Amino acid sequence: MNSSRLILLTGLVVVGISACISNESTEEQHEEGIFGKVELSDGWVRPGSEGGMSAAYLTINNGTASGDTLESISSNIAEKAELHESYKGENGIIGMRPASQPVISSGEKLHMSPGRLHIMLHDLNKDLSIGDSVDITMTFSRVNTQSIRLPVKSQH
Amino acid sequence: MKPTHFSIWIIFLLLIALASCGPETIIDLGNESFTLLDTDSTEVQFPNDYKGKTTVISFIYTHCPDVCPAITANMKNIQEELEDTTDIRFVELTFDPERDTPSALAKYKKLYDLNDQFSLLTGSSSEIDSLLNRLNIVAQKTQIDSLQQDSSDYFMNHSNTIYLMDKQGRIRTEYPANVVPPEHVSEDLQKIH
Repeated sequence: MNSSRLILLTGLVVVGISACISNESTEEQHEEGIFGKVELSDGWVRPGSEGGMSAAYLTINNGTASGDTLESISSNIAEKAELHESYKGENGIIGMRPASQPVISSGEKLHMSPGRLHIMLHDLNKDLSIGDSVDITMTFSRVNTQSIRLPVKSQH
Repeated sequence: MKPTHFSIWIIFLLLIALASCGPETIIDLGNESFTLLDTDSTEVQFPNDYKGKTTVISFIYTHCPDVCPAITANMKNIQEELEDTTDIRFVELTFDPERDTPSALAKYKKLYDLNDQFSLLTGSSSEIDSLLNRLNIVAQKTQIDSLQQDSSDYFMNHSNTIYLMDKQGRIRTEYPANVVPPEHVSEDLQKIH
């Protein structure tokens, strides 16, 4: 084997090894990166009075490859926003309690609706009338924050 | 008239009589009176001031963000379901007279765009408690963990009830307030109206 062939062969081997290393690096990124999206949709907010309360409803769709946990909620119009659930107790008595941080599995949706899971908006900083809009921001453990602007509507 | 024809006729008359009776009385308030306050702070004698009307009654409190507005929405749906609302009234009684002053209820009434057929009623705590007890309505204060620092910040566990009261002040039927289909209530209203 002459020297030029040796150099060419060495070059090919180096390129091949580099390609392998590069490919491994990309696979690592794929494992660590987040593909797909967590989407917020189908939301609305009840009217409310300044200093009072309201409730927001929406759907969270986890379109990523792994489960994710909703850690906290905030809103531009409320001092505090928390996930709560209404429930039916003994003798049909209705109660409400904070809901634990829900884990939304990959490919699953979390629906909020009147009389069930909802975002409680506490201590509104202004009156909310039909036609207004409200910003809701949700922080998840993996995809960080997701925001949505929701209309104020009356229930029918 | 042959005996068989006579029997059929009697059964027919009985069926008509039963159909016209409507549901049995659950609670008779006909001889009782409770002094309440309307949204403009005028005194209301309940149920006396509603005698001669058929009344749809529900129970709410204005610091309730989820279920009570759903109950109010259903009351409006019942109203919209009726072709003729002459001599029909809609009453929402508060579970929470401490915070639901007449002006707080007036705000709520405006917020949910309730018309003059709706009365939102409050009163002294003792009077409201007496009336709720008489109506078998449960309302219990409950603190939410994250809000326990402030004792004025509370929610309520409560009954989920709509009643129909006839023109004599008798409660004739009841429904699960936030989920009853409005057409079911409007059909029953026709029977006792």
